[in-house]
Amino acid sequence: MTSAISVRHLTKDFKMGLRGLKLRAVDDLSLEIPRGQVYGLLGPNGCGKSTTLKIVLGLVSGTSGEITILGFPSATAEARRRTGFLPEAPYFHKFLSGRELVRYCAQLSGVSATQMESAVETALELAAMTDAASRPIGTYSKGMLQRIGLAQAIVHDPELVILDEPTAGVDPVGAAAIGRMIRTMRDQGKTIVLCSHLLGQVEQVCDRVAIMDHGRLVLEGRVDEVLAQRDRHLMTIEGLTPTARLAAESALAAHGARVQSVTHPRRSLEELFRELVTGSRDA
Amino acid sequence: MKPSLLRCGWIARMTFLEAVRQRFFAFLIVLGAAMVLSSVAFRFLDFGHGELKFIADFGFGGMFLFGSILAVVMTAQLFFAEMDNRTALTLLAKPLSRAEFLIGKFFGVWMILGLFVIILSALLGLVLWGRAQELSLMAEQSGRVAPDFSSSGLGIFAVLQWLRLSVVAAIVLAIAAAARTFLFAVILGALAVVAGQLQWIAQDVLLKPTESMLYKSILWLTSRILPNLQQFNIGDALVLDSGTVAVTSIGWVVLSGLLYTTAYLFLGTLVFRRREI
Repeated sequence: MTSAISVRHLTKDFKMGLRGLKLRAVDDLSLEIPRGQVYGLLGPNGCGKSTTLKIVLGLVSGTSGEITILGFPSATAEARRRTGFLPEAPYFHKFLSGRELVRYCAQLSGVSATQMESAVETALELAAMTDAASRPIGTYSKGMLQRIGLAQAIVHDPELVILDEPTAGVDPVGAAAIGRMIRTMRDQGKTIVLCSHLLGQVEQVCDRVAIMDHGRLVLEGRVDEVLAQRDRHLMTIEGLTPTARLAAESALAAHGARVQSVTHPRRSLEELFRELVTGSRDA
Repeated sequence: MKPSLLRCGWIARMTFLEAVRQRFFAFLIVLGAAMVLSSVAFRFLDFGHGELKFIADFGFGGMFLFGSILAVVMTAQLFFAEMDNRTALTLLAKPLSRAEFLIGKFFGVWMILGLFVIILSALLGLVLWGRAQELSLMAEQSGRVAPDFSSSGLGIFAVLQWLRLSVVAAIVLAIAAAARTFLFAVILGALAVVAGQLQWIAQDVLLKPTESMLYKSILWLTSRILPNLQQFNIGDALVLDSGTVAVTSIGWVVLSGLLYTTAYLFLGTLVFRRREI
């Protein structure tokens, strides 16, 4: 089976000024993104990940290299018909209602008239925007804008969904909702490419990650593999008394192991926040 | 072919809906309408020509001035709004070609220009009709021949103005496809309108006898890169001297307008294909 996205030796140079100076945004990047997974593309600002996504989508041309989407050359209509895209900080015509926007995008994506209404309603439902779909987009919160953006990206039921910073500027409740939508899409068999700075969320939802720096790929692999510290172990113990702790440490020392630290498990601040404010205005 | 036309149609519809909501459009309609209506008040300045001619010239002037501003500014604004707000990113990531996007934008502008021309022409027709009624009563009383105007001529003139503004919009769109900023596109577009209005001078020079083939070739080329926008200004003959303009002449003007519009749209799509979004 072909990869969802195959990038081979991609390089992108931007010309700077009249003297022909070049800025290398992407440097000999090769990536294979498997189908049916959530793939995180990470890196600091200016590392080339957004440029890579734009080249994949045919919005910017690469200087050299080869890209295919689901076996089709990128930037062709065939490839884009199978791809949905949510850009970073999306902007939509404020005079349209959410439903009108999603319908407009469905029309441009080639959804047939007979399937139009069901496709629009399905996308709105997945993005949890059915209730607000009749309101003008100008009245939407940041989280709702991202969710209606997600609905327009998936209305034509694409096999591949590319999300560029889908949770940027969204509160943790909204970010968690988008995380749930990403998992739902993966369960439907779609491939999701996620570009984000929220590493906690990436860790939670992604199956694989690639980290870029200065236009180059510096790490790629399954999330549990790249994060695991094979020489360290974590046990969560209930009812540990001081005596039991001493006994456990002695037993471990007898086998050449050493306890480095004993702490109480913590909830993350994000988990606590979500627990306290669930049910906010646009959750 | 049909899905492609449909996609152009969707883009055009959205462009029109966006444009028609803009205050700038309403502002120019109000200014144009004010100019047409005020022509009645200023008719004593007719410099010895007929009153209807003065009113018609005033209306033609308003249509030309505000229509040109609308065609240049609105076309550039609607294009750069998609680029600057990055809605183009969302749209062009869909199975929509760049040519479809640009042609859709053009037809959206084309519709808004049509609406502008129809409103002002209808208003001008009403003003001319009202004044013609008064003048005909006065002429009857004094036993003179009543002045009249041709409403069908006004209709043809409106179509020609729509075509002229469409040519301007196509030129501005081709410029915008290559330009980096809205301001640059507007300035160059405005210069193109001025050059198009004065283009007949280049054609006059071309008509002068010369030996040099190179000189003749350069003149021929330069006088044809931009359309002669003056050829659309036959309102006087169409509206006030009905029947003096040959149908073939109107046909040539229409053909020329359609050719220039197509050529500049084609150029725009070629340039836009290479643009990095």
